[in-house]
Amino acid sequence: MKKFWLVFKHEYLRHVLTRRFILAVLSVPFFVGLSIGLGFLSVFLGTDRTPVGIIDRSGLLAEPLINPNENRGPFEFTQFEFYNDETQAQMALNNKEIQGFYSIGPDYLKDGLITLTAVKALDSEASSDFTNLLRANLVKTQPADLRERLLNGPEITIHSLADSRSVDPSNVLALIMPILAGILFVVVINISGGYLLQAVVEEKENRTMEIILTSVSPDQLMAGKIMGNLSVGLTQLLIWLSAAAIGAVFFANIETQLGGTQMLRSYLLVLVVTFIPAFIMIAALMAMVGATATEAREAQQIAGIFSIPIFMPLWFITIIIEHPDGPLAVGFSLFPLTSPLTLPVRVALSTVPAWQIALSLAILVVCAVGAVWLASRAFRLGMLRYGKKLSLRELMRGTS
Amino acid sequence: MPTIVVDQISKRFGSQTAVDQASFSVEPGEIFGLLGPNGAGKTTIIRIILDIFKADSGTVSIMGGPMTEDKKNRLGYLPEERGLYQDVQLDRSLVYLATLKGLSGPEAIRKVDEDLKRFDLYDHRKKKIKELSKGMQQKAQLIVTLIHNPELVIIDEPFSALDPVNTQMVKDLLREERDKGKCIVMCTHQMHQVEELADRLVLINEGRVVLYGGLQEIQRSYSGKDIRVHALSDISTSLPGIASIEADNSGHRIHLQAGTSPQQLLQTMVESGVQLEKFEIALPTLDEIFIQVVTAQGRTQ
Repeated sequence: MKKFWLVFKHEYLRHVLTRRFILAVLSVPFFVGLSIGLGFLSVFLGTDRTPVGIIDRSGLLAEPLINPNENRGPFEFTQFEFYNDETQAQMALNNKEIQGFYSIGPDYLKDGLITLTAVKALDSEASSDFTNLLRANLVKTQPADLRERLLNGPEITIHSLADSRSVDPSNVLALIMPILAGILFVVVINISGGYLLQAVVEEKENRTMEIILTSVSPDQLMAGKIMGNLSVGLTQLLIWLSAAAIGAVFFANIETQLGGTQMLRSYLLVLVVTFIPAFIMIAALMAMVGATATEAREAQQIAGIFSIPIFMPLWFITIIIEHPDGPLAVGFSLFPLTSPLTLPVRVALSTVPAWQIALSLAILVVCAVGAVWLASRAFRLGMLRYGKKLSLRELMRGTS
Repeated sequence: MPTIVVDQISKRFGSQTAVDQASFSVEPGEIFGLLGPNGAGKTTIIRIILDIFKADSGTVSIMGGPMTEDKKNRLGYLPEERGLYQDVQLDRSLVYLATLKGLSGPEAIRKVDEDLKRFDLYDHRKKKIKELSKGMQQKAQLIVTLIHNPELVIIDEPFSALDPVNTQMVKDLLREERDKGKCIVMCTHQMHQVEELADRLVLINEGRVVLYGGLQEIQRSYSGKDIRVHALSDISTSLPGIASIEADNSGHRIHLQAGTSPQQLLQTMVESGVQLEKFEIALPTLDEIFIQVVTAQGRTQ
């Protein structure tokens, strides 16, 4: 048992302490943060913050209600300046104190006529702010609840027939989060599997294997390797998730937008219970490939064959989102290599029958056990074959 | 009690027989040569002894019984195809492998430092293995093999990639370990190296044991009709009993005629006034014995 920990520690530290790992881990949140920051910066710089003039001949804005939208995200409501006549406004425009001015006609309520005078088209934020201002002031005498409905429109939620759980289709975050989280988990599985593959092939390639095997039992070696490399992947995931959490706190209240903790909980539960057997299965497959292949490059090519089906649901993600209970989505959530990405997304978007979840997990667990069995066999048979591949037939028949 | 007892082991890979009914034993305090040409089955036998492979039939007893995890801490193995983690620093790699042999962390660090100094590698300890020369890597391997002070040392082709200076160093090291009472199995196809070092040996060909015993007994039993002579005067081929003479290093090698004993030749030479400096029965080299055995085997087949 003590040697298991030694192998574990060695496998973990030899990856985590490398410059390559630290760079890889830090670069993702850095570039995500950078691109979000640049996005905001370009919007911010592209927005014209100059005030907009208003000449009100209708009397609608006699006692104007400014700033009708309380929560406007990072940008402030456009500043409006009121003028009594056009010469005043024109002077301000000439002096570049304002970017343009609206004049509201005396019979606005009847004819709706407004003229805009400006050098160039107004900033889109400013014009939509003007519309909002006008609307808010038009209905300001109405009761608060009526006002709210008129200004913000209905809030539609879609109920699926089978269950009470519902997703607001306008809530993009609730749609994207499970997919993103799924991708993140699968990426971690793949990265850890890659490390594992590398660790096994390298030991074989550089012949350290024989020294190790005359020191440790093959079972302890395998277990230590798998757990060590899994932990490398988990460390990576943990760092990314903390970065994401910091980002989430910084930008918005994600949890309320996710549409209820009930959905979040069942989604996370399914994500975790599919992740564990999926990881074990893929790790074992990678170890098997590593043990049977003769060199790292060849092993990576074979491992690529496993990665394709894992990411395949992404190619069909629109179909899965539109028909989460359609035959394709159901099929993907049952097939062991595609289910880690498909099943959690389906659970997040629809009501998946319990038997499907159970069947999908059962298939995953059976495949994971089978893969571990095959891997330990391949390990025993293939680890000392230099320059000679282990054929599938030998693996199945397997005497050592 | 012998350290290793190999009893009638056989191993097949597919249709090929790698080891065929091999038996021998190795005692503590001796250097034992496991010899044979390339592909004879030496490495397979070692792997069976080390429990990396399972024999199809036959048994191996190591340090008094079957291999256990605990016994792995008491043996050191230097495989033929050597290598260490290429991308890991030398000292880290050595400390890891030492702790896998049961040394505690601090003990491993202390011993690694000590051995690095002893093998002249201390200044390179922070380098990655791939940055070291072949000879340095070989020395690092030897450190790994011996660092935990094992009772049993198994070394496959110990002298490959070593220059004469390092070869001598390894030879001295192996003798030193033997004198401490350790059991050393040296596996090689370079038979002349064994002649210098080994006390006993087993010779394997095509998976079978073809010779087994003490080095000197084997040489003596295969010494035949040749005499090595250093003489201050010329030796005439016309002397009775001499079949032919050939130059051999600084002296001569005389092939005796059938029916002539070395004693008879000595007597003849003394009587005919040859001034002798040295007269010895030429012990055959292991290479010669091996060729003799294998050709004889080929003839009987």
